Amino acid sequence: MTLPSPEILLQLSINGALGGAMYGVAAVGLSLIFGTMRLIFLAQGAMIILAAYLVRALFQHLGIDPFLSLLIMVPVGLVAGWLIYQGLFRKAAAEEDRNISLLIAVGVMFLVQNLMTVIWGGNTAAVVTTYTASGIELLGVRASFTRSMGFLIALAGTALVVLFLRKTLVGKAVRAASEDMTAATLMGISPHKVNAIAFAIGIALAGAAGVAVATTFPFNPFAGFIFSLKALVALALGGIGNVTGALAGGIILGLIEAYTQFFISGGWTNAIAYGVFLAVLMFKPEGLFSRPYKKA
Amino acid sequence: MTAMANVSWKWAAALLTIILALVPFWPGAIDSYLLSFLFFVFIYAVMAQGWNLVAGFGGQISLGSHAFFGLGAYTTAILWSGNYLWGSLYETFPRIYYFDPVTMVLSGLVAALAAALIGLPLLSKLRGDYFALGTLGFGEIVKVIFVNGGDFTGGAFGVIAPSSTFETLMPHYWTGLGLTVGTAVAIGWLMRSRYGLALIAVRDDEMAASANGINTLKVKVAAFAGSAFIAGLAGSLYSYYIFHVGPDSVFNLDWMLLPLMMTVVGGTGTILGPVLGAFIMYAVFDVARIIVPDYHPIISGLTIILAMLFLPKGLVRKILPMSVARN
Amino acid sequence: MANRLLEVTDLEVAYGDVRALWGVSIHVDAGSVVAIVGANGAGKTTLLKAISGLVPAKRGEIKLSGTSLLGRLPEDIARLGIAHVPEGRGLFRQMTVLENLELGAFQPKARANMKRALEKAYDLFPRLKERTGQKAGSLSGGEQQMLAIARATMSEPSLLILDEPSIGLSPLVVQQMFQLIEALHKQGVTILLVEQNIHQALKIADYAFVLKTGELAMQGTGAELIADPEVQKAYMGVLEL
Repeated sequence: MTLPSPEILLQLSINGALGGAMYGVAAVGLSLIFGTMRLIFLAQGAMIILAAYLVRALFQHLGIDPFLSLLIMVPVGLVAGWLIYQGLFRKAAAEEDRNISLLIAVGVMFLVQNLMTVIWGGNTAAVVTTYTASGIELLGVRASFTRSMGFLIALAGTALVVLFLRKTLVGKAVRAASEDMTAATLMGISPHKVNAIAFAIGIALAGAAGVAVATTFPFNPFAGFIFSLKALVALALGGIGNVTGALAGGIILGLIEAYTQFFISGGWTNAIAYGVFLAVLMFKPEGLFSRPYKKA
Repeated sequence: MTAMANVSWKWAAALLTIILALVPFWPGAIDSYLLSFLFFVFIYAVMAQGWNLVAGFGGQISLGSHAFFGLGAYTTAILWSGNYLWGSLYETFPRIYYFDPVTMVLSGLVAALAAALIGLPLLSKLRGDYFALGTLGFGEIVKVIFVNGGDFTGGAFGVIAPSSTFETLMPHYWTGLGLTVGTAVAIGWLMRSRYGLALIAVRDDEMAASANGINTLKVKVAAFAGSAFIAGLAGSLYSYYIFHVGPDSVFNLDWMLLPLMMTVVGGTGTILGPVLGAFIMYAVFDVARIIVPDYHPIISGLTIILAMLFLPKGLVRKILPMSVARN
Repeated sequence: MANRLLEVTDLEVAYGDVRALWGVSIHVDAGSVVAIVGANGAGKTTLLKAISGLVPAKRGEIKLSGTSLLGRLPEDIARLGIAHVPEGRGLFRQMTVLENLELGAFQPKARANMKRALEKAYDLFPRLKERTGQKAGSLSGGEQQMLAIARATMSEPSLLILDEPSIGLSPLVVQQMFQLIEALHKQGVTILLVEQNIHQALKIADYAFVLKTGELAMQGTGAELIADPEVQKAYMGVLEL
């Protein structure tokens, strides 16, 4: 086998990184929710696809540009996340058996998937705009415009979340609760409040990811679960509970997928992605980016 | 008092089993909807019982049971369609693979072996959510391997077994009933044995169990493999029903999610919970499918959410006295 | 008559079927240091956890300035003015010293005074000021304990609860710890203290309670208990060994 040209490698890397950022932004949401609630929110992917359908509806019926609809999707996501927590997870969060929350998430996934099928049908949908086919050429490689925008959305979304967690007192409370919920309550931090905040931000990110997905990929109501799985892989790569790591993990997963597809075959992409996932879980469960923790 | 309730409960269960076993003799029952309904209830009950062994009694949430179900189904279909087991006997007895106990047990063993192989590294390294995620990843890998398995696994299409052997649903029904009762009795007995006590000890406090000389890894891997064996048997039984074993049908995540849900609705860590949960949840799903075909998955989703919101500890613990529920 | 800040009456706490406290009554006067002493497993930590709402009470009453705390959530009790430094300190190890302190003033009431409280804390614990940007988990054991106490003072609580502040520290650091507790006391902070270091605890306590297997065995001023031959035999003798 001859080694491909540097252009091709660069092109592969760009495609992989741009696509992987979508997994990353989904993983950031999962990471926040897992952090405070210890819940694997399996419905995150379904929420992203739901957001993609809403973006399409706004575009088709009201003529709102998909990227402009971010201004609607993010606030709607914040409110929806808050409501989902208060309505569905508040009670289960207090239970010690975490299966209950997990199953509610599964129920939400079923519900959302099938609601979408009933409303929009089971066929593949896409959002096609005047700029869908356009791209940016640089140094002989081409980056699709919509994918680049998706990448920017993922980057900006993660940056905002990190700023919130690092710079605001409420954000610090969310981090504190992720580390030690009991100690956090002794500071007067309400678990329900931090859980609801994590959920609100998680679903708002799903809204933003929905914009990115709608403009780049064809999607169908059942694509969400695979998306959730990929986000979980990204989460594990980045280290569970590490927000920037989650985004980086998504990008790495995108790169792995792009290279496997090119060098091996498309059929093995998932097996290799999950193989890396298993290996990381077993040999570096704290994620790829954690430095060994020094005890004084 | 509780002993009395216990004994009478066992008689009631035995009586119910006999009645269920006689159902196919009812005039017209063979072609009825009831029979196939109960057949599916049995498959789900067996799957739920298997998941309950490792998750309910063992405390290790596995999200990979669909992989073991699929391995069992594929083993039966491949052994049969390729005639790997009985050689020339197959020509003399063309029905030899149909509900062949050797094939079925082998299917369970293949699943159990896979579970032991993957469980050993996973369970020695991973705990709690990480183990759950690991099993989920494993399930997806197995699926991809079968899709890419070439002629041996039939690729994305799968394997076809000779469906001409099918006559009635009666063997399916009785085998399903037998497996349901058999797994319940076997696990009930197991949980009272030394092994069962060790398993519960590991679930409740791994450190303490280990300090008391229990080899916790061995206990956990055994539960994981046992649960996979049961799932493999269920998969084998299912392959006699669909004949076309393909990755999308037998590695479908529903084979993991639905039994998990049924167990939790019925009551995790109880023997009757998985059976009761399978019956009730499958009834809800199937009734919804018949009455409102377009919306039934929505109703399924709603049912899970409502069940978890209002019955988080499971039905069994709600309707039966504790002493009975535990058995 | 002194001002009763905390009044615990006939408190019973059980973990499942195992009862940990059997009708314990204690009280803390405003501005005082009160010590609870006793052997391991006497129920000292359970008593503190019941006060701050971490474990539910089965029977009895807990009142802070006349307000009942029973059935309230830990976060609400914290807002009522109790700051609890738990066993194991409960630091946010991945977060910096400054962030830990800021979280100590999370409650809306305390947020307004955060700057002032922070200055006060750094005055009292100058070591923490030097380490302000360091992760809490990277501090030494003594520094971590100081941070835990400093964090608890950030909300300017009416009652500061300390669960074994001297545990795991070297004798020299233990000395410093008790000096700090006295300094806080002089600033007017009311302190409820659980200690295994009985001699030290009784020395700084205005009043003390001795717990024995979930029941109140003795009470009196710190000086009275130090002088008590029973206490000397049962607890301090052991320490001398």
